[in-house]
Amino acid sequence: MTHYVIIGDGISGSSAAETLREEDPDAKITVITDEGEPLYNRILIKEHAKGKLPEAPISIHEEEWYEDRDIELSLNTHVTGVDPDAKLVHTHEGADIEYDKLLVATGGTPTQLPVDNSDADGVHHFWTFEDARGIREHAERADKGVIVGAGLLGIDFAAVCGAQGIEADFLMRGDRWWRYALSADGAEIMHDGMREVGVDPVFDSGVDRFETDDDGHINAAVDPNGERYECDFAGVAIGLTFNTEFLRGAGLEENNGIVVDEYMQTNVDDIYAAGDITRFYDVLLGEQAQNGSWGSAKEQGRVAAVNMAADDTEEEFQWVSSYSITHFDFPFLSFGHPTLGDEHAERRYSDTEWRRIAFKDGKIVGGVLIGDLSPQSKFKQLMREQRVVSDQADVLLEQQVDLDELAPTQGQE
Amino acid sequence: MAASEYHRRSRHLERVESVTADETVRHVDQLDSDTLETVYEAVENDRPIPATEFGLEEGEIIVFTDYYRVNRA
Ligand SMILES: Cc1cc2nc3c(=O)[nH]c(=O)nc-3n(C[C@H](O)[C@H](O)[C@H](O)COP(=O)(O)OP(=O)(O)OC[C@H]3O[C@@H](n4cnc5c(N)ncnc54)[C@H](O)[C@@H]3O)c2cc1C
Repeated sequence: MTHYVIIGDGISGSSAAETLREEDPDAKITVITDEGEPLYNRILIKEHAKGKLPEAPISIHEEEWYEDRDIELSLNTHVTGVDPDAKLVHTHEGADIEYDKLLVATGGTPTQLPVDNSDADGVHHFWTFEDARGIREHAERADKGVIVGAGLLGIDFAAVCGAQGIEADFLMRGDRWWRYALSADGAEIMHDGMREVGVDPVFDSGVDRFETDDDGHINAAVDPNGERYECDFAGVAIGLTFNTEFLRGAGLEENNGIVVDEYMQTNVDDIYAAGDITRFYDVLLGEQAQNGSWGSAKEQGRVAAVNMAADDTEEEFQWVSSYSITHFDFPFLSFGHPTLGDEHAERRYSDTEWRRIAFKDGKIVGGVLIGDLSPQSKFKQLMREQRVVSDQADVLLEQQVDLDELAPTQGQE
Repeated sequence: MAASEYHRRSRHLERVESVTADETVRHVDQLDSDTLETVYEAVENDRPIPATEFGLEEGEIIVFTDYYRVNRA
């Protein structure tokens, strides 16, 4: 009987466990997580922190879910090492677990700012349900906030401050939010959204140090220009550090994430990886890439499990990811790889509508839609079809996109 | 399909202010792109969702720019 061991019970690990049970009904399956609760909806914990969602609907699996499927779940268990020769996983309790096939689905941990007092009381990072509980509890009694990290998770902190009535300064390094994917036009719409919820974007700023009161609680952030921002709450979202420490010595190829092919196989026999932690071969992009989104992590877990159970390269991962921001009264959707590509086209349609498409070798590889999401499935379709369309960007920038207006694909590579 | 059947099986999205502990909630990023399109169109144009385009469970709440409950039309 094959023993599958999965490290991590986030959406990628859990989706792999579910698929493995379907594909291999007799196998032994073990899921190990260092969190104290089984799979929950990580993309809804921000709604809890905002004070809008109770805890119960955020939980996805009860422990019975694993029992019903004869999957062994080890909560509160931190994996400290992997020995691929002996095919063993070591845990913090000193236990050794044998595996036939191993899936690493351990995601990342928010990176701490390398500045003074970055771990002071009142400075928050946001990844787990426990983090969300702490943020909510503190946000309900905080008055003045500072947010650092001008990316997709930073804006969740802005939304928490907005919803919890915290007046906040959002200290950004460049001249706009998410400068790698948005031009000034697109970013301005997001800045207006922030201002409307009571969060002030501050540009060419950042944090040089945090200051604390006598009890060690944060009371200010000082930016590199020497400006002091008083606060009793801070949210830091400057990126993720991938959880690969326990793999030291295991021989897995890493490149800011675990390198896998399109079948989610690492370079070490019988070890696979899935979810945020992978640097995978993206068959649509034609190069290695990373995704940090729920749908992609779920699909990677499923595809890894199919290939693990088949003991073969049965199914490749082919996916166009999406990531939404739902905090403002206009929608925002980023799809594919909006920060990659060699060409871009963009247009602003109104004070709340903007669109940008990224192309590589003439094909769409990603984009950002603000305000009007109507073309999203058409753009994703063109990505899957790998059609060369950059020379017809005007058609794609029409407010109503009609794919029939594109020149026929005949003769394309 | 008879009109009555259409009405029986179509859905509409109702904006809700709060959520109770026993409700099922999904974020739009958990929907596939066709279902997302359906939700987006329904919200934008305030119209029912045809029976053929589900991927949504009756009673569940979808977190989009507001919270929307999927109801029978
Ligand atoms: C606040 C927030 C908002 C987000 N919003 C969105 C959104 O709107 N849309 C979207 O698509 N995505 C969103 N994301 C991203 C999305 O949640 C992730 O991409 C996805 O959950 C990644 O899943 P995963 O299984 O790869 O990793 P994770 O969910 O991080 O799971 C990894 C698990 O492994 C455990 N682990 C790590 N190391 C060890 C070890 N050594 N031993 C045992 N266990 C270990 C971790 O504790 C964790 O439970 C958001 C994320 C956050 C934090």
